[in-house]
Amino acid sequence: MQDFPPRIATFFTGTDDAPTPDPDTRSPASFLRWVIGQQKALIALSSLCYALWFLPSTLGPWIFGRAVDQGIVGGSTTALVGWAALLLLVVMIGSVFGIVSHTLVVRSWLVSLYGTLEMVTRKVAQMGHVLPRRSPTGEVLSVASSDSDEFGALTEILARTVGQLVSYLTVAFIVLTMSWQLGLLTLVAAPVLVGAALPLLRPLHRRQQVERSRTSDLTSMATDIVAGLRILRGIGGEQTFGANYDRQSQSARDAGVAAGIWQAVVEAVGVLLSGLFLVALVWTGTREVQSGSLTVGELVTFLGYGLFMVGPIRTFFEFAQKGVRSLVSARKAIAIFEQRPPWRDPAEPVALDGTAALHDAASGLTVTPRILTVVVSGVPEQSAALADRLGRYLPADTEPVAAEEEDGTKGRAARRARAARAEERARIAALDEERARQEWGVTLGGVDLARANLDDVRRQVLVSDTGSQLFAGTLQDAVDPHGRLTREQAEHALRVASAEDVYDALPEGWQGQLDERGRGLSGGQRQRVVLARAIAADAPVLVLVEPTSAVDAHTEARIAERVAETRRGRTTVVTTVSPLWLHHADHVVLLHDGTVVAEGRHADLLSDNDDYRRVVARALDDEEAVR
Amino acid sequence: MSTDLLATSAETWRDRSNDPPAIPDELRPPQHGGVRERGRALRQRHDLRRQRAEDVYEASRNPVRGWPVSGNHAVLAFFGDLVRSRKRSFALLVLLNALAAASALVVPRLLGALVNRVQSQGAAVDGLDRLALTVVGVVVLQALFTFGAQRTSTHFGQDLLASAREYVVGTILRLPIGRVEGASTGDLVTRVTRDVGTMARSVQWGVPRLLISLLTVVLSVVAMLLNSLVLALPALVVFALCTPAVRTYLRRAPKAYITEGATYSRINTTLTETVEGARTVEALGLSGRRVRAGGDDIEVSAQAERYGMTLRNVLFAALNGAFQVPQVVTLVVGAYGYSRGWVDLGQITAAMLYVVALSEPLDAVIGEVDRLQVGAASTSRLLGIAEVAPDREAGDRLPDGVELVGTDLRFAYREGHDVLHGVDLRLRTGERLAVVGPSGSGKSTLGRLLSGINRPRTGTARVGGVDLVDLPLEVLRTEVALVTQEHHVFIGTVRDNVVLAREDSDDDAVRAALRAVGAQAWVERLPEGLDTVIGSGRQSLTPAQAQQVALARLIIADPHTLVLDEATSLIDPRTARTLEGSMNSLLEGRTVVAIAHRLHTAHDADRIAVVLDGRIVELGSHDELLDLDGEYAALWRAWTS
Repeated sequence: MQDFPPRIATFFTGTDDAPTPDPDTRSPASFLRWVIGQQKALIALSSLCYALWFLPSTLGPWIFGRAVDQGIVGGSTTALVGWAALLLLVVMIGSVFGIVSHTLVVRSWLVSLYGTLEMVTRKVAQMGHVLPRRSPTGEVLSVASSDSDEFGALTEILARTVGQLVSYLTVAFIVLTMSWQLGLLTLVAAPVLVGAALPLLRPLHRRQQVERSRTSDLTSMATDIVAGLRILRGIGGEQTFGANYDRQSQSARDAGVAAGIWQAVVEAVGVLLSGLFLVALVWTGTREVQSGSLTVGELVTFLGYGLFMVGPIRTFFEFAQKGVRSLVSARKAIAIFEQRPPWRDPAEPVALDGTAALHDAASGLTVTPRILTVVVSGVPEQSAALADRLGRYLPADTEPVAAEEEDGTKGRAARRARAARAEERARIAALDEERARQEWGVTLGGVDLARANLDDVRRQVLVSDTGSQLFAGTLQDAVDPHGRLTREQAEHALRVASAEDVYDALPEGWQGQLDERGRGLSGGQRQRVVLARAIAADAPVLVLVEPTSAVDAHTEARIAERVAETRRGRTTVVTTVSPLWLHHADHVVLLHDGTVVAEGRHADLLSDNDDYRRVVARALDDEEAVR
Repeated sequence: MSTDLLATSAETWRDRSNDPPAIPDELRPPQHGGVRERGRALRQRHDLRRQRAEDVYEASRNPVRGWPVSGNHAVLAFFGDLVRSRKRSFALLVLLNALAAASALVVPRLLGALVNRVQSQGAAVDGLDRLALTVVGVVVLQALFTFGAQRTSTHFGQDLLASAREYVVGTILRLPIGRVEGASTGDLVTRVTRDVGTMARSVQWGVPRLLISLLTVVLSVVAMLLNSLVLALPALVVFALCTPAVRTYLRRAPKAYITEGATYSRINTTLTETVEGARTVEALGLSGRRVRAGGDDIEVSAQAERYGMTLRNVLFAALNGAFQVPQVVTLVVGAYGYSRGWVDLGQITAAMLYVVALSEPLDAVIGEVDRLQVGAASTSRLLGIAEVAPDREAGDRLPDGVELVGTDLRFAYREGHDVLHGVDLRLRTGERLAVVGPSGSGKSTLGRLLSGINRPRTGTARVGGVDLVDLPLEVLRTEVALVTQEHHVFIGTVRDNVVLAREDSDDDAVRAALRAVGAQAWVERLPEGLDTVIGSGRQSLTPAQAQQVALARLIIADPHTLVLDEATSLIDPRTARTLEGSMNSLLEGRTVVAIAHRLHTAHDADRIAVVLDGRIVELGSHDELLDLDGEYAALWRAWTS
C-alpha cells in the first residue's frame, strides 16, 4: 500500500527513477478517477476503518435500547452486564479504528497532495522555458499550492462518505427490523434533507467566491505596499495607499459578512430540518408504542438515531461541495499536465562540436570560433532575439492562457470562454511544435541545431539572458549549482565577474545564504553573481546578453577585461553597446533591423562607420542632446 | 584588493559531495525487527521530530535576519483591546449563542419526559401531540437562535479581522525609513501574506467558534447536572480523565503546525523559483537538481506531517476513550440508580443523549484552541513589526536655505565595518555632481546619508543648517529626494501613483506633472484617464511609462536637491536615453547628485566625485580630472577610445 511521500517519476526523465504512470488528462472527471484509482486499496481500507470508527454511534443506541428493555425495565442484571460489556467492546473497537482511520486518511490525503506537487515540479522541469509561454506562472503555482490540497481533501471525504454510508445503511437496517415505517422514514430522510439544503449551496458558493477574490485582491495590495515600501517611506503616499488598503479591507469584510450570513442560513436550515426529522421520528415512534408494536427501549434507540442522523447528512453535504471544488481544481491541473514539450529528438542525432563556427541564417551572423565576438545593436530586443536563436530557445512572444479565470461569468458563457482559452492554448502548442519540427536556422559546425539532441545543444551553447535568475541557497550553490567546481575555480569565477564584494558582504562567505531570487542583493550584485555562474559553467560556446547593464563603469571595465582573458580560446558572444566591452572584442558585429550590416574591429568601425559610431559613442551623442 | 575580499574562502568553502540527506536516516522506519523494537524506533523518531519542530518554532520566534517578533502577552493585549472596543456586539454574540445552545439542550430533556410518560402510562399516553408541538417549537427557536448567533459571530469575527489587518498595514506604513531602505522585504512579504492569512483564519473562525463551543460545553454540563447529579458526576469524571493528554497535546501541537506551515512555504518557495526561473533551470541543466530539491522539501514536510499525525493519534487514543466510555458508565450507573429508585428512565435517556452530544463541542474546543495558538504565533510575528523603534525624532527647526553640506561622514552597516571614512562634501546650489566609483566603494551609502535616509555614525549631513535626520519626513521629502532603481507602480489610480509626496495635490498639479514628463498623451488615452487603476494585475504600463510615473512623483515632490542612485540602470539603454531627456527638464535649476555607472552622466556633470574605498579621492570638473590624469582619466580613456 502506498505511503507518503509517494514515489512519483512521471513527465521528467532526467532523474534515474523508473517512470511512474502519467495522469489521465482527458477530462476533469477522468483525472479525478485517476487520482483516486492511484490509491484504490488505501481509500477502500480507510472507508472500512471509518465505518468501524463510527460503530459506537451506529450500534450504541440499539445496544442502549436493548439494555433498557431487558436490563433496566426488565430488571435482569445478567442482561444488563452483557449489554454493557457489548457497548464497552463497541466503544473500544471505535477508539482503535478512530486512530487507524486517521492514520490511513492522512496518508491518502498526503499521497494525493505530495503526488500532485511532485508532478507539477516534474512538468515544469520537463517543459522548461516553453511552459511560461503557455500557462501563467500564477496558475502553475496555484495548482501546486491549493489544488493539490483539494485532491487530498477529495480522498478523505470519499472515504468518510463511504464509511458514513455503510453506517447509515446499517442504522436504517436496524430500524427496519423494528418498524418498517420508521425504517422507511430513516432511509428517505438523508436524501430529502441533503436535497433540501443543496439549493442553498449555490448562492453560498457565489458569495464565498466574491469573498475569496476580494481577499486575494487585499493580499496583493498588501504585497504591493511592501514591494513599494521604500518609495512610500521615501517619497510619501502612506495615507493614500493606507486608505486604499483600508477600503479594500472593508469591502472584503462586507463580502465575508455576506457569505457568513448565507452560511448561517445553511446552518439554521440544517438545524431546522434535522430537528423536524427528529420530531417526525419521535411522533411516529410514540404512536407505535401506543399501538403496542414498539417497546420503550426501542423508542430510546430511535431517539438516539434521531440525533445520529446529523453526522451522515453533514458528510454527504460536504461530499457534494468538495466534489464540485475538485472538478474545478482538476480542470486547472489538466491544463498544466496535458502539455507536451514540442521538441522531438531527431531519429539520428548529430553530435555538435562546440569549437566550430556558429552561424545564424536569419541575421547572417557568423561567429568565428575561439574568439570574443561582441554584437552591437541599437535595439536591445533584436540582440536578445538573436541570442535566443543561437541557444535554440523559443521567443517569449505569446500571451500565456489561464485555464480558470475569475471573471464572474457563469454557465454557458463561462464554458464558451473556457473553450476559447483551451483553443488558444492549443494554438500556441501547435505553433511551438511547428517551430520545433522545422530546421532551426542556426548551425554549429554546419549542423543545424534541430538535428542534434536538445541536451547536446544546451551543453554546447550556454545563453545567459537578462532574465537569468538566482536561486535561494548558499553563495557556493549559486556559483557552483552542480557541485562540480574546485574552490579555486569558483574563486576565479567570482573574480572574473568582480563579485568578490558579494562574498565579502556575507559573514559566512561561501555558506552565506542568498534569499530567493537573490532578493537581498542589489541589481548590480545579482547580475555579477549570475555572470560568475555562467563563467564557471565553462560552456564551449557562451552567449552573454547585456551582462553588465547594471554595473558601474569601473567594474564593467574590469569585468570585460577579465572575461576576455578567461574565455580566450573558446567561443564567446556578448551583446552590449558599452565601449568598455568593445575594447576587448576580437570581433565586433553591428546589427541593424535584425541583420548584420557591418563587422570588424572596434577601432576600425568607430572611424569608418557612422551608424556604428551613433550607436556606440554615447558620450558624444548625449553631449549633443544636453547642450 | 580582490585577494583580501576572498581571504576566508578556504575556510568557508565546503565539499558538498558528502552532504547529509534531506532528512537523517534515523527518521526512516527500520526494515526489520520485532514489534517492541519497532515501537521503540517509532518513539525515537517521534522525539527526534519533536526536536526538529521545537527548532523550527524557536527559529520562527527569534529570527536571525528580518524583523522582530513580539511576545505572547502583546498578542493577548492586542486582541483584548479589540474585543473591549466591541463590548456590545461581544455581549450579543455570547447571549445569542447561549440561547442557541440552551435551546438545543432542552430537546433531550423533552424526549426524556416523553419516555417517562410512555413508560408510566403504557399504551394510553395522552398529550403526545402537545409534546411533539413543543419540540417543534423548540426546534424552530433553536434554528432562529442559530441563525442569529452565526450572524453576529460573522460580523464580530470579520470586524475583528478587518481591524487587525488594517492595524498591521498601518504599522508597516510607519516603519522607520532607514530600516526599510536597508532590510530585505522578503520577510515582510511573508508576514503580510502567510501570517495575515493564518491570523485571518483563527480570528474569523477560531475566536467565534471557540466561544460557541465553550458555551455549549458549559451549558451542557449544567444541563447534565440539572438532569441528574448521580448520572452526571461519574460521566464528567471520565471526561476529565483526558485532561493531561489534552494539555500535552495543546503544548506541542502548535509547534507541530507551525513547522508544517513552514515546510509548505518552503515547498512553495522552491517551486516558485523553479517555475519563474524555468529558462535558467533549462539553460544550466538544473532540471534534475530542481526536481530533487522539490523532492527533498516534500520529504522534510512529510516528517513534519508525521509528527503532527502522531501527536493527534496519541490525543485521539485518550479522547476516544474519555468521550465514549461515559456511555457505558451512564448505562451502568443508570441501571443501578433506577433499581434504587434514584433516577427514572427519562433522566437516563436524557443523560445518554447529553453524553453523546458533548463530545462534539469538546472536540471543537480542543481544535479551536489549537488553531488559535497557531494564529497567535502568526499574530506575534505581525505585531513584531510594530516593535521596530523609530529611527528619528523630528525636531522643530526648519532649514534656513537650501545648501546641503556633509561633514566627516562615517557609516557602518555592521559594527566595526565602516563603509565611509570621514567624507566631506559641500554641494553647490544648482550644480550637478556625479559620483563614480566601483561597486562596494560606498557611493550608495553616501547618497543615503545625503538624502537623510540614514543617520551618519559620525559627522553631519545638513540642509540649511539643520540635520536632515531631524527634519519631519514631510519636510525632508520636499527638500531632498532619493531616487533609486526601483520604479514601482502601485495598485491604485494614476493620480494615487503620482501625488505621493503631497497627497493633497489637485488634478491640475497632477496633469502638469504628467505633462512635464511627457506622459500626458498616454494617460489621457487610458480608459478612465487619471482614475484608471494601474499596477500589477491591472492596466499594465511599459517600463518607460513606469519611469515617467516615477518622475512625475518627483515633480510633485518638487525638492530642491535630488540624489539619483543608478536611477536608470535597470532599463534598457534606449529607454534610458529618452527618459534622461525628460529628466533634464525636471532637473533644471536643482541640485543633483547622480550616482552613476554610465560615464556619459559624469561627463555631463558640473563636478565629478570619484569614490574609492569609502573616500572621495578625486573631485572636480571633467576637464580638471582629465588633467589630473588619475582614476577617472584612465576610465574615461577606456570608455572613449
